[in-house]
Amino acid sequence: MQRNGESTAPPAREAPEAMSLAAFLGCLQLTDSAFPSGRYTQSSGLESFVQHGYVTADSGRQGLTALLVDQLEHAVGPTDGVALAWAHRAVSRRAPGQELDLALAVEADQRLTAVKLAREVRESSTRTGRSLLRTATTVFGGAALEAFSGAVRSGATPGNAAVVTGVLMAQQGIPTDHAVAAELYAYAAGWVNAAVRLGVADHRVAQAVLHAGRPVVERTGRLACRTALADMAGSTPLADLMSMRHEHAPLRLFMS
Amino acid sequence: MSHGQGSHSHHPAHEHPHDVAEHDQDLPRLGGPVPRVGIGGPVGSGKTALIEALVPLLVAEGHRPVVVTNDIFTQEDARHVRATLAGVLEEDKVVGVETGSCPHTAVRDDPTMNLDAVQALTERFPDTDVVLLESGGDNLTLTYSRALADFFVFVIDVGEGDKIPRKRGPGITASDLLVINKIDIAPHVRADLSVMERDARMVREGRPFVLTDCFSGTGLRQVIDHLRAAGVLAATRAPV
Repeated sequence: MQRNGESTAPPAREAPEAMSLAAFLGCLQLTDSAFPSGRYTQSSGLESFVQHGYVTADSGRQGLTALLVDQLEHAVGPTDGVALAWAHRAVSRRAPGQELDLALAVEADQRLTAVKLAREVRESSTRTGRSLLRTATTVFGGAALEAFSGAVRSGATPGNAAVVTGVLMAQQGIPTDHAVAAELYAYAAGWVNAAVRLGVADHRVAQAVLHAGRPVVERTGRLACRTALADMAGSTPLADLMSMRHEHAPLRLFMS
Repeated sequence: MSHGQGSHSHHPAHEHPHDVAEHDQDLPRLGGPVPRVGIGGPVGSGKTALIEALVPLLVAEGHRPVVVTNDIFTQEDARHVRATLAGVLEEDKVVGVETGSCPHTAVRDDPTMNLDAVQALTERFPDTDVVLLESGGDNLTLTYSRALADFFVFVIDVGEGDKIPRKRGPGITASDLLVINKIDIAPHVRADLSVMERDARMVREGRPFVLTDCFSGTGLRQVIDHLRAAGVLAATRAPV
């Protein structure tokens, strides 16, 4: 699906926006691992990497950081990050009188589903997204969120988590670059948490990996904010294969 | 699943329990130098009974153990261990740690409170040569952090049904030692021990398991032999 070109072209470098304290607190709440979004059920392919022996307890901080960085730079940033940024703009740059540029949010959502190759990855993204929508419409409300929620309920759009998060964060006044960085951070935090539960990292290694990934979150997030909607694409063939194999794994602790 | 705790070939701690952080060399060992045995398993499988049976044997061999228990709501396990081991182990050598209703979190995701309890207890009793940790009763997915336990013992029991070993889960497949407890009740719960042995052998892929009856003492000597072979029991001096 392609909208008319200009509105989804690569945005010029956006001036950094200041974030209000209220928005900062909203950002903390949404990225908190205690927020009930179901993220704890996902290892984002890591369980399969462990099952196939690519990641072990000996991978250590270096090995785990390398894999996390690849996932952020080549999968999550250029796909979920880009989708989130455009979903955010569907709220923050909507026309006067509009609640939401629904067509733009839907296009970001549909493109995101299209570039997620493995079924398991697509399904876990939309299950998490729908779960987030159900919680967020009750807790936060808001016209933009209600409008997008209606589109998901009607089947017009899949409701990926990154897109729901983009709409939600924009509605709370969280600037685009902060919103994208927060989502990438939440992904990384969930990933290292899965590493602990899979026994390939202890609590200190997990936090060290998360710390080491911080500049990558920042860099990848900024790049996602400058990427055209039509250029949304990831490239992690081994991770895709791992996810496809995970769909058939007889033993699974995680949904993905 | 390849799992750190049970992967003998990948886990340097098994050869050198005093240097558990060897693979991440600039991370210092937490909780003090005394070797630690982490015992986990489902509710009622016999974790407390195993500790209560092991401690007198260890003391008789000249070891100086201390015990850290994790309870769900109460200090019931700590009280039970203290009462059962009265005359064998000083009451103050048993401490309970509350887990905020998350037994697996306390021994895996965030073991800091247990590490703190271990540190305090071993500093208070500096001649301690082994720490026995008991997790709160959980399910088949419980594992120990490599930062907390040098040796992970997973306890299941015959009363849960003879299908339990083949249900697998990281504790059953990848723990350093699987204990199948309460073998004495097998006839009463229609459990076939030969099936449990066969399945345990299959899913453990060469890792050891022991059949025990903690009340009669069956299998306990084998458990101690495994602890010694793994290096978590130091050479003992004569009992005083």
